[in-house]
Parts: sequence; C-alpha cells; structure tokens
Amino acid sequence: MSNARSKWSTYAWYWQRISGVLLVVFTLGHYLTVHWTEAAGHSFQSSVQRLTNPMFQFWYLGFLVLGFYHGVQGFYNILRDYKIPRWLLWGAVGIVAGAAVYFVYLGFDTVVSVHTWKHMR
Amino acid sequence: MVQRVSSQRLGAQSGIEAMVYEQARQPVQSWWKTLRRYRWHAGSVAWILHRITGIALLGYLFVHVWALRSLVKGEAAFQAEMTLFTTPLFKFAEWLLFAVVLFHALNGVRIVVVDFTARGAHRHKMLLRLIYGVGIAAMVLMGILIFLDPFAV
Repeated sequence: MSNARSKWSTYAWYWQRISGVLLVVFTLGHYLTVHWTEAAGHSFQSSVQRLTNPMFQFWYLGFLVLGFYHGVQGFYNILRDYKIPRWLLWGAVGIVAGAAVYFVYLGFDTVVSVHTWKHMR
Repeated sequence: MVQRVSSQRLGAQSGIEAMVYEQARQPVQSWWKTLRRYRWHAGSVAWILHRITGIALLGYLFVHVWALRSLVKGEAAFQAEMTLFTTPLFKFAEWLLFAVVLFHALNGVRIVVVDFTARGAHRHKMLLRLIYGVGIAAMVLMGILIFLDPFAV
C-alpha cells in the first residue's frame, strides 16, 4: 500500500468519527426542533418558516452534506471488509455516491426554491 | 480440505504463522458457514447492528430528502403527504426509525469513546449496557411524544 493511500484512509477514519459526532449533535437538534410535537414537524407553515430562516438553512444543509458523506463512506467501509471483485466494489460505491451527490443537489434545490417562492409572495 | 504445506514454502517464520497462512489458503466459504463461524458476543452483535442500521439510515436519508420535495409543489401537496405520515402505521414506523437512529447514534458515541479514550476499550461492555439503558428510556419518551403528543398546542 502506498503512503498516500494509507494517509488517505487515516483521514477517512478520523473524518468518519468527527462527522459521526457532528451528526449526533445535528440529529439531536433536529429531533428537538422538528419532532417535539406532531404539528412542529408536519405542518406546512412551520416547515416553510424553518426553511426560510438562515440559521436553519445552514443547519439543514450541513446535516444533508455530512449525512450523505458519512453514509457513503460507511457503505464503502462495509464493502471493503468483504472479498468482492474491484469492479463490483467501485461500481456499487460509484452508484451510491452519484445518487448521494444528486440528492444533496435536490436538498439544496428544495431549500432555495422554498426560499425564493416565499419571498416572491 | 486443509492442504499441508511446508512452512518454508509459505515463507512463514513459525508454526503459528504457517497455520495462519494455511487458513488463508482455504477456499472462500459459503455465507452461511461464515455466519455460523461468527462469534456472537455483545460487542460483535453491536458491530453488526451498527452496519445494518447504518445502511438502513443511508437508505432512509434518500427517502427523506425525496419526501420533502413536496414542499416545492406547494401547500396542498405537502399537507396530503403529511396526512399520510400522521396515520398510526406511519407513526409506528417513525418510532421504529427512531430506534434505528438511536442505536446508530449511541453506539457511534460508544465507538468514539472506545477509540479515543485511554481506558475506553476496557470498559466497552459497560458502555454497551449504558447505551442500551439510555436507548430504552429514550424509546419510551419518544413513544409518549409520538403517540400521545402531550405538548400539542
């Protein structure tokens, strides 16, 4: 294994733990704000209000990016533990990572759309 | 069948190393045989559960982002979706989802404590009992919030 590669996996190892701890904080905040009452999480007004608040936008988009990063890295870590062909490993990780990038875009688009839509009215 | 190979040919320094090489040379076993060889202890069960819940959460993240797209379509579309999500079946599913989130989060914190503290690895089973205790208490509290909604205005 080359030095660059082992360094890369060391960073990935650290980042998996750091992003995990950050995600615990994000998740706790998410549950406390959105799922405290049924209305808080399931009403249109409160959802739009949150998504047009800059602090919540930062919170959600950070959550989105970190969540997908941690998930895809975790998926790769699991597959790496099994004896599967290289093309299958990189094919599967590629598909999941590509879908994750698209869904991060979808999430950003949802926030931006709700933001502009709210301010146009 | 285990093939006898001389330790010299394997380049092994000791008998134990030769045994390890021999083990590695055996053909890939069926998944069922591999599963039966797993050591089912509290820590290894937590390790497997962490992976299963991790994959489940990644899948759910996709569904969650997709479901929130209805916000863009306007109030009627969003409310129609939320009416579905507040049926008893979906409430129960949300509670189960919370169990998955909770296990992955608490066990993740345990992994970080074990990896980054000096005595963590010696106390991993105590930590495991602690997270199961905290987890069950949190499940009861979340059950009250979801099914009884005591703070509704």
